[in-house]
Amino acid sequence: MSTAQKVYTWLDERLGLTGIYNVVLDRKVPKVNWWFTLGSASLFLFVMQGVTGIFLTVYYVPSPDHAYDSIQYIMNGVSFGWLIRGIHHWGATLMVVVVSIHMLRTFYLAAYKYPREVTWLTGVVLFLATLSMGFTGYLLPWNQRAYWATTVGTEIPGTAPLIGPLVTRVLRGGADLSAVTLARFFSVHIWFLPAIIAATIGIHIYLVIRLGISSIPDKDD
Amino acid sequence: MNQEFKQKYLDKYYKAKQKGVKFFPDIIYKDMIVSFGLFLLLLGLATFVGVANEPKADPSDSSYIPRPEWYFLFLFQMLKYFPGNLEWIGTTVIPGVAVLLLFLLPFVDRNPYRHWSKRKVAISVMSVVVAGIVGLTMLAAVTTPPQTEAAPLATSLSEQIALGQDTYSIQCVECHGADGEGGEIIGVEGLEGVVLKPINDQDVMYTFTDETLYNVVNFGQPAQGMPPFGKAYGGELGPGEIEALVAFMRYTWDDRAELPPEAEQRAAPPALAENEVPSYEVHIAPLVKRYCISCHRPGKKNNNYLMQSYAEVMTSGDHAPNVVAGDLGSNLIRMLHREEIEAGGPMPPTRALKPELIAIFERWVLGGAPETAEQAAQLAAPALPPPAETLQVSPVITITLTAPVTSPLPVTATLTVTVTP
Ligand code: HEC
Ligand code: HEC
Ligand code: HEM
Repeated sequence: MSTAQKVYTWLDERLGLTGIYNVVLDRKVPKVNWWFTLGSASLFLFVMQGVTGIFLTVYYVPSPDHAYDSIQYIMNGVSFGWLIRGIHHWGATLMVVVVSIHMLRTFYLAAYKYPREVTWLTGVVLFLATLSMGFTGYLLPWNQRAYWATTVGTEIPGTAPLIGPLVTRVLRGGADLSAVTLARFFSVHIWFLPAIIAATIGIHIYLVIRLGISSIPDKDD
Repeated sequence: MNQEFKQKYLDKYYKAKQKGVKFFPDIIYKDMIVSFGLFLLLLGLATFVGVANEPKADPSDSSYIPRPEWYFLFLFQMLKYFPGNLEWIGTTVIPGVAVLLLFLLPFVDRNPYRHWSKRKVAISVMSVVVAGIVGLTMLAAVTTPPQTEAAPLATSLSEQIALGQDTYSIQCVECHGADGEGGEIIGVEGLEGVVLKPINDQDVMYTFTDETLYNVVNFGQPAQGMPPFGKAYGGELGPGEIEALVAFMRYTWDDRAELPPEAEQRAAPPALAENEVPSYEVHIAPLVKRYCISCHRPGKKNNNYLMQSYAEVMTSGDHAPNVVAGDLGSNLIRMLHREEIEAGGPMPPTRALKPELIAIFERWVLGGAPETAEQAAQLAAPALPPPAETLQVSPVITITLTAPVTSPLPVTATLTVTVTP
């Protein structure tokens, strides 16, 4: 046995790598088409957003006084800052597109039916969380567009009967958009939502592997 | 779905799986192609389209037309159909029901069949919803009015200083002078004769922090006559512009700050070759902008002489024309030479322009007062005759110093000759 094999066997005994390989990679999958790649494309985009997002937090400062300037600095002062921000910016748009089309493909191919109902449920959570990422991230550059879009965006739930005004206050952390709002949106954008999404993706993909990917329905289905 | 149906599905699915492919490598290979394609797309978008630069948030500027991220536009558009008392239907009921239905879909849609031909209702409903969302999004994109004149944006420090210089020239020169030197205010309604301390010296620059400067401009000092400039206080300037203004003052007047070379170049008067005819566009406009616009724009006391464009410079004013091509006796030139004429007093009222700047105006007028650089290039460069008066001076004046000058400092002597014909 070569050393590499020995190391592998040692690890396998403890980690069960072969088992993982058999279950995750070596499984049989019905013949499917290109639309079925969009789930993993969503995952890829989520990871990209995570990586570029982490780099952005190195320089980004979530306070009304500094947020705008810190973004200017990322764009002009940090080497390849413009690239990181560009990827994060366009990645957000692309992720919404890809996740939505992925959802539509599971709908049109009836993949949400027995036995994959729970996969669909976790999917809806992912969809809403992705949109919320877009909403909270939009405020962070603290520019005119961000400020006024969020002002209007947080007004919308305020029109609900009874609890509306309360919801708006909670979203804003006060009567108006302020440093509190920015801090809140920042924390939701970089901690709460990514944590929810990561955990939900875990369940989602566990279910996909456990149940197998659906086959394309034929005339008799 | 009953047990039997479920079992039938599972059996069929099992067979489909057996006939299928291995996840690794067949499926994952496709997945990676698509993800890699998306990655290239992202690089392309980030590099060639980039992220639009926006002005800093300005809570006081409620004229800004809010625009949500494009994937929320359809919601925004939908709300327009629920005005007044019905608003909450659009804001809460419809989105709420939609989300609920999305969650409950597998339980609401009890139809056991999967092929599209047996799910016509579900497919039609979803297709109508998707078409509606796409339609509303496009409608919103088309109907949202364009943003009214976005404030100019500066990204680099030297751009910011240049923007600050422009802003200063327009807003502040009329009272504080072209270089912040202060002095007696002339030609400003309400403050005629008030004497301002300089704001470009150490007294101000060493004692005012950037924040104080920002606040002085933003709130003004109404008690002393300094008007507020922040939009929130009735002025014309957004936060980005005031910040640029502060950067300009700091880097130009504070001797502890070093002006970036790029910005220095920009601030210098445009270069003019020996025989070149200056043009309005290249040479005159920057001077006018820096030394005259502050007063010679609408809403100021200026005999209706506006100087914001070539046409205005040439034709407006109570004593128009103030510029006559080829005529050094034009009002503008005479006033620059600090003559008191029918059109008014010396210009700019408080402090003479530097002689080399006046010379540019003169060469321009003599050369035919061309507008564009091309027109200027076509005009033969006239040899600038010395100003008319000195032509007639025939005796040569020789000054002989009778005592040697002993001073470590450079000595300058000024000789003024007045010739009476
Ligand atoms: C309508 C005339 C007017 C205009 C225009 C004006 N100021 Fe002033 N400014 C004043 C007066 C009057 C004072 C108070 C007099 C003083 O303190 O010398 C003042 C004071 C100041 C001071 C504080 C000086 C001190 O020593 O306290 C600063 C700084 C200043 N102005 C900057 C600006 C800037 C920058 C602009 C252009 C945005 C501007 N001002 C435009 C009239 C004006
Ligand atoms: C501090 C404000 C101020 C500045 C700066 C200023 N002007 Fe004037 N200008 C006036 C006023 C006020 C008048 C009206 C006549 C008067 O009161 O002297 C005037 C009148 C004139 C007129 C006569 C217009 C007419 O048709 O009656 C000319 C020409 C002129 N200015 C040229 C200039 C030029 C060129 C500059 C820049 C180098 C300049 N001015 C800068 C305030 C200003
Ligand atoms: C961050 C977002 C998401 C990620 C990373 C993700 C990931 C995946 C992956 C990798 C698959 C494997 C099959 C495929 O790629 O088509 C899958 C399947 C599935 N997804 Fe998602 N998904 C996301 C969002 C959603 C959403 C929004 C829905 C629907 C509301 C959804 C519903 C489903 C369903 C029902 C399946 C099973 C499909 C089948 O077995 O044919 N997912 N998902």
